[in-house]
Amino acid sequence: MNIYLLFGIVLCCSAAQAEQETLVLVDNLNVRETHSQFFKSLQDRGYTLTYKLADDANLVLAKYGQYLYKNLIIFAPSVIEFGGQIDAEAITKFIDDGGNLLMAGNSVAGDVYREIASECGFEMDEESAAVIDHFNYDANDDGEHTRIVVSPKNLINSPTIVGPQNLQPLLFEGTGLILDKDNNLVLPILTADSTAYSYNPKSQVKEYPHAVGRKTVLIAALQARNNARIVFSGSLFFFSDEAFNSAISKVHGDKVKSSKSGNKDLAVHLSQWAFGERGRLRVRSVRHHRQGEKESTTTYTITDTVVYRIEIEELKNGKWQPFDANDVQLEFVRIDPFIRTTLKRQPNGAYEAVFKVPDVWGVYQFKIDYDRVGYTRLYHSTQVSVRPLQHTQYERFIPSAYPYYVSAFSMMVGVFLFSFVFLYYKEDTPKTKSE
Amino acid sequence: MTSLMSVIPKLYQEYTSKTPKKLKIIDAYLLYIFLTAVIQFVYCCLVGTFPFNSFLSGFISTVSSFVLAVCLRLQVNPDNKNEFQGLSAERGFADFIFAHLVLHIVVINFIG
Repeated sequence: MNIYLLFGIVLCCSAAQAEQETLVLVDNLNVRETHSQFFKSLQDRGYTLTYKLADDANLVLAKYGQYLYKNLIIFAPSVIEFGGQIDAEAITKFIDDGGNLLMAGNSVAGDVYREIASECGFEMDEESAAVIDHFNYDANDDGEHTRIVVSPKNLINSPTIVGPQNLQPLLFEGTGLILDKDNNLVLPILTADSTAYSYNPKSQVKEYPHAVGRKTVLIAALQARNNARIVFSGSLFFFSDEAFNSAISKVHGDKVKSSKSGNKDLAVHLSQWAFGERGRLRVRSVRHHRQGEKESTTTYTITDTVVYRIEIEELKNGKWQPFDANDVQLEFVRIDPFIRTTLKRQPNGAYEAVFKVPDVWGVYQFKIDYDRVGYTRLYHSTQVSVRPLQHTQYERFIPSAYPYYVSAFSMMVGVFLFSFVFLYYKEDTPKTKSE
Repeated sequence: MTSLMSVIPKLYQEYTSKTPKKLKIIDAYLLYIFLTAVIQFVYCCLVGTFPFNSFLSGFISTVSSFVLAVCLRLQVNPDNKNEFQGLSAERGFADFIFAHLVLHIVVINFIG
């Protein structure tokens, strides 16, 4: 009996923890120690971390068609091929099925990394290429100018992803990423300064580097259409304890000095965003009705005044709370949007719009499509029909129509009188017939 | 020009002397319908098409009445006897009345 009870409790807990199951792939178990602060911050937030060697022969992401993990961390740049059932294809499918991925490489990262990166819309620079910046390197640099200091001003302007305050400079050492401009799902989280470029630090620069200046993306993110999130960092060092703790002093330029790097804050914020702790929206309720009425209806008459009300919630600190924004728009669509209006903010996360239904009948949809950087895509549509006026609802006896009434009735009277005249008229002379 | 000037009085004379009285009655009726239609059209141009269904039904009722009256005139005209063999003038008139019934039911339904 007790065992069953225990079993039940464990089962319940595991169900609640399903969101937090995280697989960490490392190329050697040392990474656990060298990146302990980052992993600890995850554990403190309730994630269950399962460490595995990236070439472990028993690696599985899913069992019996069910994913064992919601999140995947890959900190294994030196891996040549993943072990077990994991390969680039399996990871792509994991993302397609809604899993989140946090991945960090460095300049020695191999083809598997490149393959996964290109599946996600990023391109990693060639092997052994590193981001070099001769103007913004750290004092602890080993002479190749690859340990660069990046200003927090180069972060993407989205507090949802990078956190509200990033003032400390960031340390970065690793390879650069190139983003496809046409891919509008990909976000450059952190870009290098204009003096940076990406090339093999040990060889002379002979060809034009693939990534130059601000186009060199250091950390990139992708929010897929299914709201799966991927954060791809060119630097594994970025997440290490060394980077978290070390003091920063820039050798050239404004000689920025800081007793502590901003890496830890940014890494924690990025992981929070990547694993869906922040920036998630959902629709709580949707109501629409005629103005002045309480009852909801699915049929409106043309030129009715409609009140549409939607409640949106945002996940904040693990709780769904009212979402606050002033740019949520509503569309009233019949193939094309007939009405597009910004919803007015009401208390308790409610948004309201009052508008007049167009003078065109048909099947319409109320559509909310809220897609903002850092937030999950919010899409909601409700179908209603808009019908023409009923036969009894038309205006009658319009003064300007009286001439037409008179004409129509005069036609009737006319044919009546004409019939009499026509029938009773006798041709007085039979002359016409004889002719 | 001179020929035209001479044709018109001739035409008028022919019309007054040769046309049967019955057809002249129909012609008077046609003129009345035509004037009603013109007045309505002018009114619509001045006021605008707002009760469009009313305008349509009023105008269409005059146009149809005109067409029906022309048809009646064709059937009643003794010159066309050969074309309407076996169809008496009375039969033509009955058709005319029936068509009018249908027409006015539609017009009243649509006038709003």
